[in-house]
Amino acid sequence: MSSIDYTQELPVVEGRPTLKEINELIARPLDQKPDKKFYIALSITVSMLLIGAIALGFTFYYGVGLWGNNNPVGWGFPIVNFVFWVGIGHAGTLISAILFLFRQRWRNGIARFAEGMTIFAVMTAGLFPLIHVGRPWLAGYLIPYPNQHSLWVDFNSPLLWDVFAVSTYFTVSFIFWYVGLIPDFASLRDRATSKVKKIIYSIFSLGWRHSNRHWTHYEMVYLVLAGFATPLVLSVHTIVSFDFAVSILPGWHATIFPPYFVAGAVFSGFAMVQNVLIFIRKIFNYEKIITLDTLERMNKIILLTGSMVGYAYAMEFFTAWYSGVQPEQFTFINRAFGPYAWAYWIMVSCNVLFPQLFWIRKIRRTIPVMFVIAVLVNVGMWFERFVITVTSLHRDFLPSSWAYFKPTIVDLAILLGSFGFFFTWILLFTKTLPVVSIAEIKAVNEGAQPSHGEH
Amino acid sequence: MAKSFDKSGTKFWKSLKDYYDDPEILKKKANEFNDGVTDDFDPDQLSKLSRRKFLALLTASAAFTATSCTDYRDKGEIVPYNQRPEEILPGKANYYASTCKGCELECGILVKTREGRPIKIDGNPEHPVSKGKICAKGQASILNLYDPERLSEPMIQNSAVSWKKVDSEIIKALKNAAESKGEIAIVSQILNSPSTLKAIEEFKKAYPTTKVYYYEFMGDAAKKNAWEKCYGSSSLPSVKLNEANIILSLESDFLGREGNYIENTRLYAERKDILKGTDFNKLYVVEGGMSLTGMNADIRLRLKPEYQTEFLLSLINELVSGNKVPAEFRTGEVLNTVGGYSLKNFASKHNLDENKLSGLVNDLVENKGKSIVFAGDTMPEEVHVLTNLLNEILGNTALYDFSSNHVKHSAPSSTEEIKQLVQNMKNGSVKVLIHFDSNPVYHLPADLRYEESIKNVQSVVSLSEFPNETTAISSFVLPLNNALESWGDSLVRSNVMTFQQPVIAPIFKTREKEAILLTWANGNAESYKFDIYHKFVQNNFKKEVYSGGDFAEDFNSVWFSALHDGFVELDGKQSKAKFNVSSVSGIKPSAKEGITLHLQKNYYLGDGKFSNNGWLQEIPHPVTKVTWDNFAAVSLSTAEKLGVTFNDMIKINANGTELELPVMMQPGMADDLIVVELGYGRKNSGEVANDVGFNANVFLKSAMASPFVLQAVNVSKTGNVYKLVSTQEHNFLVDPSLRDFHKIRKIIFEGTLEEYEKDPKFLKEGEKVLKGITREHKYTGLKWGMAIDLNKCTSCGICVASCNVENNIPVVGKDQVEVGREMQWMRIDRYYSGTPEDPQVSNQPMLCQHCDNAPCENVCPVNATNHSPDGLNQMVYNRCVGTRYCANNCPYKVRRFNFFDFRDHFADAYYQNDITALAHNPEVTVRSRGVMEKCTFCIQRIMEARQDAIREGRELKGTDVQTACQQACPSDAIIFGDINDPNSEVSKYRNHDIGYHVLEELYVKPNITYMAKLRNTRSEDV
Repeated sequence: MSSIDYTQELPVVEGRPTLKEINELIARPLDQKPDKKFYIALSITVSMLLIGAIALGFTFYYGVGLWGNNNPVGWGFPIVNFVFWVGIGHAGTLISAILFLFRQRWRNGIARFAEGMTIFAVMTAGLFPLIHVGRPWLAGYLIPYPNQHSLWVDFNSPLLWDVFAVSTYFTVSFIFWYVGLIPDFASLRDRATSKVKKIIYSIFSLGWRHSNRHWTHYEMVYLVLAGFATPLVLSVHTIVSFDFAVSILPGWHATIFPPYFVAGAVFSGFAMVQNVLIFIRKIFNYEKIITLDTLERMNKIILLTGSMVGYAYAMEFFTAWYSGVQPEQFTFINRAFGPYAWAYWIMVSCNVLFPQLFWIRKIRRTIPVMFVIAVLVNVGMWFERFVITVTSLHRDFLPSSWAYFKPTIVDLAILLGSFGFFFTWILLFTKTLPVVSIAEIKAVNEGAQPSHGEH
Repeated sequence: MAKSFDKSGTKFWKSLKDYYDDPEILKKKANEFNDGVTDDFDPDQLSKLSRRKFLALLTASAAFTATSCTDYRDKGEIVPYNQRPEEILPGKANYYASTCKGCELECGILVKTREGRPIKIDGNPEHPVSKGKICAKGQASILNLYDPERLSEPMIQNSAVSWKKVDSEIIKALKNAAESKGEIAIVSQILNSPSTLKAIEEFKKAYPTTKVYYYEFMGDAAKKNAWEKCYGSSSLPSVKLNEANIILSLESDFLGREGNYIENTRLYAERKDILKGTDFNKLYVVEGGMSLTGMNADIRLRLKPEYQTEFLLSLINELVSGNKVPAEFRTGEVLNTVGGYSLKNFASKHNLDENKLSGLVNDLVENKGKSIVFAGDTMPEEVHVLTNLLNEILGNTALYDFSSNHVKHSAPSSTEEIKQLVQNMKNGSVKVLIHFDSNPVYHLPADLRYEESIKNVQSVVSLSEFPNETTAISSFVLPLNNALESWGDSLVRSNVMTFQQPVIAPIFKTREKEAILLTWANGNAESYKFDIYHKFVQNNFKKEVYSGGDFAEDFNSVWFSALHDGFVELDGKQSKAKFNVSSVSGIKPSAKEGITLHLQKNYYLGDGKFSNNGWLQEIPHPVTKVTWDNFAAVSLSTAEKLGVTFNDMIKINANGTELELPVMMQPGMADDLIVVELGYGRKNSGEVANDVGFNANVFLKSAMASPFVLQAVNVSKTGNVYKLVSTQEHNFLVDPSLRDFHKIRKIIFEGTLEEYEKDPKFLKEGEKVLKGITREHKYTGLKWGMAIDLNKCTSCGICVASCNVENNIPVVGKDQVEVGREMQWMRIDRYYSGTPEDPQVSNQPMLCQHCDNAPCENVCPVNATNHSPDGLNQMVYNRCVGTRYCANNCPYKVRRFNFFDFRDHFADAYYQNDITALAHNPEVTVRSRGVMEKCTFCIQRIMEARQDAIREGRELKGTDVQTACQQACPSDAIIFGDINDPNSEVSKYRNHDIGYHVLEELYVKPNITYMAKLRNTRSEDV
């Protein structure tokens, strides 16, 4: 490793496995019965999910008063969690669509899994706008449908934009994910021995026969979908940021929010993907497919987006100072030195300071260290949303209405439940679908593509 | 038949033929079904139920099952009027004049009833004293009527009995007592009703061994005694406060809780109206604690209450020795008393600002006959004597109004008399003890040992509306009518007699207290009639007033017009007596070193009568904004000295009595002083009242001349921590970097009258014209707007109470106020500026500003909040899903969210019963959980006025509508109307030079204009 030959691209898949070996390796988790470890993991995540479900049940029965939300702080944990999970859902489509368009071949090993995480994260996020409202049974009012009251939704409201942005993003991500899965379903169908599996895979593979025409159409559809998903990656969090930016609240009312939120979302999404992949490659022996080089590249993106987020933090202070508006200036001073200073400094250290360690190549390539840093990044990004939401609200224009927000046990239980929900889906995913794209890995295997080189 | 069977019965066959030709088989083949099987399918024997019928029944039973599983409860039948009762038109309110019996002021009220049930109480606009205003207690007292915890039937030893039984048993006991010459003691609070006193006389006639004891809880006995000493009369004149240029208050909270503070506020605010010119009065307050009046002071001096005597002596000496007063007061007696006290020395000793003091002296001298000095009810007699002297020497007696005097009916019994009563109780000579709507166990000083002595009385009878500490240990408990169910009269001021008429039939099995007494006086339990006291009041009026008066009409006309008006005016003139100069001789200050405990009245609970009223418990304290508690208020440096901070418990030991109380650090307080409010810490008084706050009555001592100022008390930190709950944070005190935000952020604009006189536009200097970049809606026609005059507003909180009642605001409880979920649509924000030692207080009523560019509206995803063409920011509860985005985006934070179904919250005491819902205003939706709400500008009143206008075929005018807060405001600081009409009053305020909008530069274009406070201070004062 002392000298790197930059004239040659590093192989994406190490060890030049045969096509059969690739098939075997990726399909192995689907062939085997789940082991004890799987059940232990599943029971943990399902327990978390149940705790959240119980907390939610109480909330539905008694009202959102069970949470810590109070009079100035109308939005608390549910909105923080919503923005957090939508953010997590950003890496997947970015990896699969944007990196695809940029022909970043190293994405092939992680794209499928990242996309899956996107789907589950957006599902998790999607719960929160529904449960956070005072009367969830009337959440249908947010959908514009012709009705006898002649009532229409308010298209001026960013919350409505959210409804469309998140649902569109989910739909497109899901289709993109599914289209990518079709050739793999066919491969699985071809090698399935059990009849049930064969039928299921046959249905989902939509009659895929690996024919040349199929591949031609497939490539075109995939490219179009990638082109379609790319603006969505940027738009979803932009619109989520509008929830804040469109308001008149100091600390929310900022034009920097859209790019800042997108950068933050990619940042946290990559950290989460990196975290989970470290386990996946170890447990399923995918070290050669999801290589250390891939992880290193992800860490570089974390470093980049983390720095962007850090820049945004600094710029927010500058804008506040430059605006000359006292409530605006106070909001930021209050963030850093007020009652929620602890949350602010957790955010700054986790999001800005620790990722800077990735400048060091050794740390970028040391799995335990990068794991810890990525965990901290997610902690930090959760706190970022907390800081934005809560500290801006708790001390706004009228000092007479200031109050401290304290989460309740129900808030914490629902947060825990959201992790349970997410990871339960992840666990089921690993046992039911190929977590790495078989077809795409074959395509980036050494020698898979015609080349002019000697090797 | 060769048939062979083996042992197990299996049939064997030898050939197929054998098998198939088996007759049994053949038989079976012939018949399709076995024997017996076909019987089951006999169509005639089948049920007659057709398939359609079966399906119909199935559907029906499924539907029934489904409906029976809902939690719908049959709420009874709604029966329309078959024959409409006279006067009642469904949907139309009726108004009846009556008298409030909430406290000794007995104001004239106007009760609004709908379909026969009272729903709102306001002041009687024609009443010469009340002038349409009542206090917060009066406003909220409607809840007392519908309180499910009221005593509902007579009880003997805690078991319910009939009235006949309880009456006959008591009559028996009374007769026995009268025969055996045993004492019958009636214990009552002081009474203002001529008829009630007459009824007691009747009772005394029937039972001659009766003795009546009157007591007063936190009354103004010292003031009255001083008056008697100075003028030989106990009938105090009222004060023409609106004619006073200078008002000096010595520990007197005359705007908040002392005297007729409603009348005082009205008269005081008359001289704070910028539209009428700049002839403002000037208020000096010298006090230890921070009171409501102190918050409104133009100039405030901090002084511990026990130094008031010395202060007055020094002040009078300054005036007398400076030859600034008439010669008649420069006599030996006055000079002997005040000589030797120097204001200068006093000022330096107590660290008082000499500029302010010399300003005060100059003002008093310059405004002779045009100023007034008040001393607080909790001050000792000598302070009141000196105050009377001061008013005399300044010629302020010109402001005394002798045509409307305070009438004295029943003087409180002396301490000796009460002690004698307790002695008699103890030795058993009191045979029957009647608590006549009084609660002596809670009210009387604990060292009398009243509670213990009760045990030796044979029959203890308590007449009460609510359970309380006294009913809990009484053998006979008789439930009383609410004031709104009763007849009565009242004579508080010599020039006006007020009447009380029932506006609803008794809800429970209750009776009027006088009717009970009269029944006993008749000596026969059967003699009770529901109109026994009605007749009695009528006859009494006929005998005492009508026959002696000069009435042109016959009695019935006079009586009915009196009931209609709620009062009759009398000639109650009194001539001014001469001041007895010798009354001041020998007065010496008697201040001791150490920490002083000052016991004060509370603002909203009265003597504890209103403790079970959640609305009143939840109105924030006007100064500290604490709800659901009382506390030990101390200054910052005293707290530091004691090593305590907010919520730390301290133990106060005064003359051997100990009590632990939580600390509240109060800016502007004198050092080494603790102020505690009484009326809290109730026991056995209902779900809401029980154990709210601390019972500081324990500090009251029977033997003390001035029981409210306890000197040299011991205070220690206990290490315990309590949780006081307030609606505003106290961060201003803790963090100096947060001070003066209300001024920096243009929430509060203030100046001095002097500045205004120099340049009326001084507040608008450098103001930028804001321009919108969007096409904004043009409001043509009527547009609603409000103006709030901060010069007049005293922050009394009556608007909050009135709004609560009008708009069905739920009570949320202490635990929810703690997490910032109070639901009041109207609040009064309080800001301090300056130093914590000597702060300036700014108050600001805050409610929905009905912004033209309302930031709440565009963020609602479902259009649940939107704008009306007449400028109202509307809230559609049905459509609201509860995203709370609107509340987040409201810069004024006036939106309130139903985090729970708050009507579940006091499930045992409030709301979840058949009665409390009757208090609701039927024109206002009761909001469910998950819904946002806020001030509507009383849209129900606007709609009603609009309907009337349409029916009468005329244009709706801005003056047709009064909001509930406006109607209740005793200082008329709230003005509502059409801002598009340039001649309307509200437009005049809106376009005035000192009118401003809060957070104007956000360009949300609010429709509430605040009039900047102009303090009447000169530049040399400060």
